[in-house]
Amino acid sequence: MTALAAHVPALVVVNLLMCSYIMPVLARWKKHLCIPVALGSVSFSFILSIFLTFQVSRQGAFSYALGGWAAPWGIEFVVDHFSVFMLLTLTGVGLLILVYATEDLIHELKQDVVGWYYTLYLLLMGSMVGLALTNDLFNLFVFVEICAIASCAIISIKENRECIEASLKYLILSAVGSGGMLLGIAMIYMVTGNLNFTYVTEALPQAFELYPRNIMVAMSMFTAGIGVKAALFPLHVWLPDAHSSAPSPSSAILSGLVIKIYAAVFIKIFLRMFPWDVYETVPLMTIVLIMSSVGIVVGSMFAIVQEDIKKMLAYSSVAQIGYVFLGIGLLSQNGTLGGILHIFNHALMKSMLFMSAGAIIYSTGVRRISDLKGIGTKMPLVMSVFSIGAFSMVGIPMTNGFISKWYLAIGALDVDKPLYVAVILLSSLLNGVYYLPIVVNAFFGEGKESVTVHHKLPWKMTLPLIILASAIIITGIFPKLMLGLADKAVMFLLN
Amino acid sequence: MEDLILTMIVRLILPFIQIYGYYIIIHGHLSPGGGFPGGAIIGASMILFALAFNLKEGSNKISHDTSTLLESGGAFGFAALGFLGVFMGSNYLSNRAAGFPLGIPGNLISSGMIFLISIFIGVKVASTFITLFFNLVEGKTHD
Repeated sequence: MTALAAHVPALVVVNLLMCSYIMPVLARWKKHLCIPVALGSVSFSFILSIFLTFQVSRQGAFSYALGGWAAPWGIEFVVDHFSVFMLLTLTGVGLLILVYATEDLIHELKQDVVGWYYTLYLLLMGSMVGLALTNDLFNLFVFVEICAIASCAIISIKENRECIEASLKYLILSAVGSGGMLLGIAMIYMVTGNLNFTYVTEALPQAFELYPRNIMVAMSMFTAGIGVKAALFPLHVWLPDAHSSAPSPSSAILSGLVIKIYAAVFIKIFLRMFPWDVYETVPLMTIVLIMSSVGIVVGSMFAIVQEDIKKMLAYSSVAQIGYVFLGIGLLSQNGTLGGILHIFNHALMKSMLFMSAGAIIYSTGVRRISDLKGIGTKMPLVMSVFSIGAFSMVGIPMTNGFISKWYLAIGALDVDKPLYVAVILLSSLLNGVYYLPIVVNAFFGEGKESVTVHHKLPWKMTLPLIILASAIIITGIFPKLMLGLADKAVMFLLN
Repeated sequence: MEDLILTMIVRLILPFIQIYGYYIIIHGHLSPGGGFPGGAIIGASMILFALAFNLKEGSNKISHDTSTLLESGGAFGFAALGFLGVFMGSNYLSNRAAGFPLGIPGNLISSGMIFLISIFIGVKVASTFITLFFNLVEGKTHD
């Protein structure tokens, strides 16, 4: 056991990828094994992530050299507080979405592509876990590509007009984003001669004096590339269509996890790889702050006018990813803490909201917000869960949304930028404007024709909702659980 | 449609294309090329065969079942090969430490696992090419 324990960083990625490779074979000859293997693989990665968390808190950050080649030559996985924070979020929420998906997909997809869905899902999970762990720029690019292809495919797997159009749009824009990142990596490699984050960090201060243009171009390429993929405000155009037309489990994983992992990549590149004194001469973080705060306000405004519940949630994601980037852009300890914590909190909230919207569509077939009046009495559990998510989005105390907004506000005050506190307050009000009417109408409103419930929800769909809702309340009342880990992650980033 | 000139020429050059593909895969560790280009050449040769003769006959040569197996097997084999390193007490994907004999540099049987990895990648790429082609040709139907 102790011998195997050293290989856990590789195992947590490879286990997901290998199970994804054998899934087409299982889907062809042993169909009943698809779901157990997929669930087993993601739960195994979740258990390994918990193990890695304990290991990191016991002995600090450590690295794993793939193929036995030491750092500057080989690819290195680094397990630190930030990456285990991301691992726990990814595998934990990913497991719950998968449990939900096993039941929901039967009704949303054609029978013969359900097996392929698990292939893509595991591939997506594997690439995201790899992105959280990798310490090598080119390896990062490879995982970014796998992630982009897999996420396009889990949108278009539904094969109706909107899905294919949305995923084509996403494919083109995210290919542009990947191209930008690749050029950025090439620029960095050109001036530093290294691809490993640790060595690039060492070489950058000197390189910045010699070739400031190259590094500035690289920074803008990374910002634009990651910005497209993470749907940072003016680059978000692909997101609403893609996230609203996809099957519900896909929407949940795309909105909950995929755009977050790119925010994590942004943190890795700009807060860990680049030295912070670069930002005194390059106004990058000011640009990020402006983009994110405009995104927070405008994203919410777009969400207000939406009629389709999933489209509203998708626009809300544009606003919420703004919080994460706001926290990064503030460049203060509390602000970064709020941003990182919001990655976890929003992953819980948004995946839960998308899954409850999916549950409503599953049982009643209703997608329009105005038709949801009085649904609270028909589906009390789903709407209660939805309400908890809505309260958390607004940032009402005792939910985890409050905690991350609190730290973001403190972070903004720490660096004397009270304007951003006003942005956070304004957007909380806007969130209230579009989330609370749904909740109020669902429980107290009376529609013209009442909604009929066609299918009873199976336990596989309600269980993830209940777990996520309790997690939102528990981390809202006892924030220390994730806050401790996020705090250590920030300390590690700040050194 | 079957054309005498086309089928005759394809008959003549097909073995050479395939041998060239295998050559590139097997010499992946020695010369430019490797699993991907070699696999692409073999895949292209199957596409050429299907185009020149007829599509039915071409798709019968490699069925969907076989190509699914080959695709999954190629990728899975690569990943599984990495675990030999872990079992031998070294890191994932390690080469000599995992007990692969390195041989004499320049010989055909050398470089340990890289030789085997090229073969797995070749299998995967060739079968993916064929699957992609037949999926495009067949249009809406899925395997």
